[in-house]
Amino acid sequence: MYDLQLTPEQLEMRETIRDFVTREVKPPALHPTRLEPFEKPLLADVLTQASQMGLRMLALPEEAGGAGADCLTSCIVMEELGAGDVDVAMALAHTSGLARSIFDGLAPEPRKRLLQQFIGDDGYHLAIAAYDPAAQAGWSYHRPLIDDHEPVPTAVKQSNGDWIINGTVSLVPNAPIAKLIAVEVRTDPKKTGSNGMTTLLVPRETRGLTVRPQVKATGATRGNDEAIIRWHHGPAAAVAFEDCRVSGDHLVGKEGQSTLARGPAAARGLVEVAAVNLGLGRVAYETAVDYAGIRRQGGRNIIEHQSIGGKLADCAIRLELARNMIWKAAWVLDHPDVQVGSGAELPLHVVARVYTAQAVHEVTLLAAECFGAMGVMRDMPLQKYVHDGMVFFHQDDSDDAAKLRIAEALAGYERPLAQTA
Amino acid sequence: MDFSLNEEQRGWQVEARKFAEEEIRPISIARDQIEGGLEPWDWNIIEKGSKLGFRTLAVPKEWGGPGADFVTQAVVMAELAKGDSAMSKAFSQNWKWSHLIASACTDDQKERFLKPFLADHRYVMGRGITEPNAGSDNRMPPEDDPKAGFRLRAVRDGDEWILNGEKCFIANGSVGSLFFVDARTNPDVNVKQGGTLFMVPKTTPGFRVGKVFNKRGWRFYQNAELIFENARIPHANVVGGVGGAAKSGRGDNTGGDLFGDLELAANAVGVCDDAVQMSMTFAKAHKRVGKYLFEQQLVQLKLNEMMALTEALRSYVMRVAWMHDQGTHSANAGLVMNWSTDVIQRVTRLNMEIHGAEGCMMNARVDKLVRDAMVWTHLAGDTVQRVKILKRIK
Repeated sequence: MYDLQLTPEQLEMRETIRDFVTREVKPPALHPTRLEPFEKPLLADVLTQASQMGLRMLALPEEAGGAGADCLTSCIVMEELGAGDVDVAMALAHTSGLARSIFDGLAPEPRKRLLQQFIGDDGYHLAIAAYDPAAQAGWSYHRPLIDDHEPVPTAVKQSNGDWIINGTVSLVPNAPIAKLIAVEVRTDPKKTGSNGMTTLLVPRETRGLTVRPQVKATGATRGNDEAIIRWHHGPAAAVAFEDCRVSGDHLVGKEGQSTLARGPAAARGLVEVAAVNLGLGRVAYETAVDYAGIRRQGGRNIIEHQSIGGKLADCAIRLELARNMIWKAAWVLDHPDVQVGSGAELPLHVVARVYTAQAVHEVTLLAAECFGAMGVMRDMPLQKYVHDGMVFFHQDDSDDAAKLRIAEALAGYERPLAQTA
Repeated sequence: MDFSLNEEQRGWQVEARKFAEEEIRPISIARDQIEGGLEPWDWNIIEKGSKLGFRTLAVPKEWGGPGADFVTQAVVMAELAKGDSAMSKAFSQNWKWSHLIASACTDDQKERFLKPFLADHRYVMGRGITEPNAGSDNRMPPEDDPKAGFRLRAVRDGDEWILNGEKCFIANGSVGSLFFVDARTNPDVNVKQGGTLFMVPKTTPGFRVGKVFNKRGWRFYQNAELIFENARIPHANVVGGVGGAAKSGRGDNTGGDLFGDLELAANAVGVCDDAVQMSMTFAKAHKRVGKYLFEQQLVQLKLNEMMALTEALRSYVMRVAWMHDQGTHSANAGLVMNWSTDVIQRVTRLNMEIHGAEGCMMNARVDKLVRDAMVWTHLAGDTVQRVKILKRIK
């Protein structure tokens, strides 16, 4: 049965993280000297502290040395972290999620060795250079997919079993901090789309692996002098492989059958990102409620003015609905064999992501409006919450592509295999 | 009915469009991306625009200005804002106080302040009403309560007034040569009876600029604290009469308030024009899975909405400008200002949706328009502003 009652363990974990965020994350994250500049370096000390609390290994199975959190518990934790700092939260969500999925596909000996390294080093993060040809599939609405994905790295097996990887991936979340990078490579050049793809693990120090510098917050250009800004939560960078050799035992799962970018692990990741997004909306809302309770105008605290009360109620409604959707999607992923009734035919993880991004965007704007002019001042947190909320619109595919994917699902449309552009 | 611009209005429009395209737009993103509050400001562009008449556009012809009508002002603001919303505002902010000087100041005051304003390309002005606990973001104070409204204190001392207190978020605060400052000359009565408007040159002893605000949007545009520590203002700098702040500064007889409402709405038209053009260009040049965005129905629906909202706003703005030129006053100026908040937010958001993010990157100008639009939420479309407009509906 679908159950919204949190367990004592979940409640305790939530309290622990909330306390950590209040004491350790918010003070550095919201300091005016960090809020004002465009460039906001990752809070490395906070990330280390979170790691020491076990959050890097949150979803790693207990048998392997982690906390074994299911998707719902992970979402509860991610909401709290998102209320503190979205970049730290996203970095941890990536590492924790990958820890759960990539080690299990290894042979016993390399699994043990890499797990030991991972567990023993608080600065050991994980990344995946994933290939998802269906990422923009919604735009091919009710039509076969045209694969216009950037070229995928290739790998060729050597006589001793090693692999040699060549190619680049333009956006790899967590790459700047990762000590182990999973990469989906094409190992069967005769196949297209998702077929013939293999996942290999590449340690950071491997010769031939280059993590490019992260795109600057502002000041960069591309193409015809188009000014661009960084639009991403958490560390991310391009990764290049040049005759990069990895041992044959760094193969995850079976050759030619990589599923990481498309399976339940990806769906789970999407719901956890939505939970980080939710945390962001919640902290904007809580900040506005606190302020409205002390700011006096017109002889009373502004929370007692209808126009402010209406805004805050709108925030509360949206956040409650978003959390319900996230928890439901998480619960369904945690119980794959259970029939959930309504909505079963829908990709609930996509529904959760799209609704949360829209809801939180509105919440951050409404919260900022409660602050009047202070809502746009760069030494105050509200303008950052608004900006962070907008970036979540594009954290996976665009809203429109996602909606079209939902529409295809409800129509029962099954897309034929990808065609090459 | 005749919706066409006359030759003079059209001339200003062409001139403004050219200046926006050739001078403003090329530096728009670069200035926006400079860190800090004061730093994005650039006197060079102000001087260039001033030489073409954009700083002094609203100064009446009899005082040596171009004396442009409201329709021209609206058209020019929109054209300049299409290049950069904040730079457009930096010019038009001066028009507001040109109206005020023309309608409420004595000939002696015009001689002392309007002439140097006309002569110096770097002379800009601002108005100080808002304080940390009072001002335009005030949550509907009971108007007759003496405790409501601005608190900056002015005490008479012979031929001078001594001002103490501070103003907050004041436009052009860090770069202005002259400020119109509302002060309480009698704190025991309500702000209408006990408020007086003073002209404060930046060289006034005891007056200084405090914090310069570092904002998310309109980064070029300056907002600062003004600090008064026994600042001495000659009685000759009182605008209107003592205890007449509301009448001289806010009443419809000055034109200042009416213009202020029109200003934000007209500026929004330019930002929306920019967003529409960016989206059209982008949608026709970029494909998603093999198909131009312009051919995708969801994108077409967004483009349709953006264009309809932009044209509807333009029509409303031009109608209000025309009404001002006819001397007809109504609640429409306030209503169009409020509504421009909804339009600019929606249109810049749709522009962002159409562009989307590519990898971990976003077009910097798409983001800038969204950030600039956010400024409207507290300047033009705050719930207080919306509720206040109802008072004008008879």
